[in-house]
Amino acid sequence: MQTKDQRICLWIAPFFGLLFVFAFWNFQGFFPPMSPTMSAEEVAAFYRDHLGHIRSSMILCNVIGVSLIPFFTVIVVQMMRMNNASRVFSYSYLIAVINGGTLFALADLAWLNAAYRPDRDPQLTMLLNDLAWFAFITPVGFVLVQNFCLAMAVYLDKGPAPIFPRWVAHFNIVTALLMAPSAFALMYKTGPLAWDGAISFWLHIATYALYIAVMFFVLRSAVQKQADEETMLQSSWKEQTA
Amino acid sequence: MTGATLASIAGGESRKGRLLSNPKLDQWICFWSIPVFYILFGVIFVLLGRIMPPPTPTMSTENIIAFMTSPNLSLAVVLLALSLGMYALNSGLMLTQMKRMVGVSPVLRYAYIAVLGVGGLPGCLFPGYMFALGAFRPEYDPEILAMLYDLGFLCFVGSLGCFIIQYVVFTIAVFLDKRGIFPKWLGYFSIWTLVTELVATPVFITQTGPYAWDGLLSFYQGTLIWVAWQTSVTICLYQAIKNQPLEELGLPLKENEL
Repeated sequence: MQTKDQRICLWIAPFFGLLFVFAFWNFQGFFPPMSPTMSAEEVAAFYRDHLGHIRSSMILCNVIGVSLIPFFTVIVVQMMRMNNASRVFSYSYLIAVINGGTLFALADLAWLNAAYRPDRDPQLTMLLNDLAWFAFITPVGFVLVQNFCLAMAVYLDKGPAPIFPRWVAHFNIVTALLMAPSAFALMYKTGPLAWDGAISFWLHIATYALYIAVMFFVLRSAVQKQADEETMLQSSWKEQTA
Repeated sequence: MTGATLASIAGGESRKGRLLSNPKLDQWICFWSIPVFYILFGVIFVLLGRIMPPPTPTMSTENIIAFMTSPNLSLAVVLLALSLGMYALNSGLMLTQMKRMVGVSPVLRYAYIAVLGVGGLPGCLFPGYMFALGAFRPEYDPEILAMLYDLGFLCFVGSLGCFIIQYVVFTIAVFLDKRGIFPKWLGYFSIWTLVTELVATPVFITQTGPYAWDGLLSFYQGTLIWVAWQTSVTICLYQAIKNQPLEELGLPLKENEL
C-alpha cells in the first residue's frame, strides 16, 4: 500500500487551507488589502493600531507558511507515474515549488519584523512592509513554471490510462496566466495591477484558492485510482500464486 | 518505442508532426528554455536594468537616486520575477542528464539542484527586489536608498558560495562519470570558473579597485568566464540529449526509484 502517505499529504491541504483563511482574515491588512499609496506615517500607524492582529496572524503564517508543500509533492509523485519519456518536468516542478515557498517565508518574516518594534522610524516600517508585499504578491514566475511543467507532463502523458485528465493541463495553463500579471505590482502603486488591485490581489488570491481546491479533487481521484490499481495487482498476484 | 514510430520520426512527416512526435520533446522544451532564459537575463540586467555592468560602489546619493529611478529598472525586475522560475527547467534537465552518468550516485545530482535552488534567490531575485524597492519609492530616506543599492549589488555580485558548491559538485560528477555524458574538459573548465568566484570574495571589504563589485577581477573576469562556461555547458547538454539512446527513454518510475 503506497498511497496512505499520499492521502495524508493530500488531506493536509484543506486543514491548513482553513488556517490560512483564518490567518489572512485576522491580519486586517488583506481584506481589504493595504494600499501601496499609504504614507510612511500611515503604515506605521496601521502597525501600531493592529499590532495584536498582525502578530498573531503572521506567527500563525510563520508556523504553517510552507504547509502546502506536502500537497505539491503529491503532484510530483503523480507526475513521476506519468508515461513521459523522462522525469524532467517532475524535477523542475519540485525545484519551482521549493522557491515559491521560500518567498512566502521571507514575506512573513518581513511583516513580523515590521510589527516587532512599532516605535521604529516609520520609513523603516514602510520598507519592511513594501518588501513583504513584494515577496508575497510578485514572485509569480515560480507558479508559472510549476503549472507549465504539470501541463506539459499531462499533455505528453501518452499512456492508455492517463494519470490526470487532459483538462487539468488546460486548467493549469489558464490559472498560471491569470496569476502572472501580479508581477507588475512591482511597478504600479495604483490601478488593477497595484498590489492591492483587482488583478494583482483579488484575481491572484481567488485563482490560487480555486486552484488548490480543484487540484485537491483531481489528486484525490488520481491517488484513489493508484490505490485501486495496486489492490488489483495484489489480488491477481495472490490468485496466480494460490 | 515501436519500429513504426521510429520510422515516422526518421521519415517524411511534416515539420510540426516531427517536432511533436520527437521522443525527447520534454527534454528539448527544457533545453530551449535555457537560451531563452539567458537572452531574457541579458535584456533584464544589461539593456533595461543597467545593472550590468554595475555602476561604482562609491556613487553619490543623487546618482544612486538617479540609478534607482531610471525608467526601465522596475520593468526589468518585473520581467525577472516572471522569468526567473525558468531556471528550474534548466536544473531539472541537468538532473535528468546527470542521472545517466555511470559511477555517480544520486547524491551529486540532488546536491547540484538543491544548491542551485538556494542560489537563485539571494543571488538574483532578492537583489532585483532591492532595486525595485528603490524604484518604487524614490521618496525613501537617502540612507535607505543607499543601503538598498549596496544590498542589491553585494547580493548580485557577491552570492558566491552557492555557485562555488555547484561547480564543485558538477566537477566531481563529470570526473567520476565512466560513461562520459559530459566531456572531461568541462570539469576542468568548472574548476576555472570556481576559482573566479573565489577571486571575487574581497568584494565585501573594498569599494574601489579591481576587487570592488564593479572591478576588473570581481565583476568582469568572473562574468566573462561564467558566460563562456554557461555556453559550454549548454552546448554539452545539447550533445548529451542528442546522443541519448532512445531505449533509455523511459517508463514511469516505481515509487522506490524516485
